[in-house]
Amino acid sequence: MKSSLDMYFKSAGGHKILTREQEVSLAKRIEAGDAVARNIMIESNLKLAISIAKKYAKYGGSLEDLIQESNIGLIKAVEKFDWRKGFKFSTYASWWIKQSVTRSLTNNSAQVKIPSHTLSNARKVWKVQKEYRENFGCDPSESEIGEILGLNPKHVREALKGIKAKYTKSIDEKVGDEGNRTFGDTLPDENAVSLDTILDNEKIRKAIVKSLSSLTKREELVLRMRFGISDIDEQDTNIYEIKE
Amino acid sequence: MPMPKGFKSENGYSTKKSLGGKSYQEISNIMSEKGYKMNHSTARNVFVSSLEKIARDVVGLYNLPTDDKSINRISKDPRFQDAIVNFMREIEYEGKK
Repeated sequence: MKSSLDMYFKSAGGHKILTREQEVSLAKRIEAGDAVARNIMIESNLKLAISIAKKYAKYGGSLEDLIQESNIGLIKAVEKFDWRKGFKFSTYASWWIKQSVTRSLTNNSAQVKIPSHTLSNARKVWKVQKEYRENFGCDPSESEIGEILGLNPKHVREALKGIKAKYTKSIDEKVGDEGNRTFGDTLPDENAVSLDTILDNEKIRKAIVKSLSSLTKREELVLRMRFGISDIDEQDTNIYEIKE
Repeated sequence: MPMPKGFKSENGYSTKKSLGGKSYQEISNIMSEKGYKMNHSTARNVFVSSLEKIARDVVGLYNLPTDDKSINRISKDPRFQDAIVNFMREIEYEGKK
């Protein structure tokens, strides 16, 4: 069974790419308030919106959402396109579509809100890191990234932090098919005491209690006083004898 | 000046302040009042010999040497004394609950 996304791709692919003359003619009609022309212009450029959305899918967010955002950018471009400047519509629309998609990524894909300029730098840094790794087999230093991108070290550091923050997971996020466990439930407790340690402690404890119970009254009193443990009545029996 | 050597330079030693209790002089005075006549030196000997008794029982669990010298060394170790006092306080606390 085909998914709704596949069906959408098929329907978007069914529209022919417009020639420059057709674009100009449609733009003129749109200016005059022709809604049909507006729809044709949008539908004919859906493939462009999809291809840009796909490029940004690797940065997070679902493809469906990115396509929606990308279409919003496309609609804005159709409304603002000025045919008199002589550019092809796709050249002009690409900027609006990219802006819309990247803004959506900035606002929605991270748990922690990161400024859009930092995320924009983060994307550039991520790309440089990937290429550098492929070429040299190791990660570039901050200063090398800065040099390649023309950014100062402070901005490179912020961008790197932005990449990390973008992949921050909520500890309360549901995991597993049944969804009855959170991400926090799957983390090991590093402070937990192992069963072996508990058993060992119990063994030592028993040995110490046994030794303490074998002490004479005189020895017990001295030990307690030296250790600053509350005094006991002289008539009492060895208190550890009772506890064993 | 000779280099410090031996047990105390490695592990330090427990003091009345670190253990939170009484000095040997104070202990000997109280014990004498209670009828266990002793001086400060005896109080110390009684304290160390009590710890040696405990140490002898505990080292068996760890397969550590049980000769007199080793037992004496362990019983004077502040880390050992600290562990014992913690166990004693824990037992006492649980007894009061």
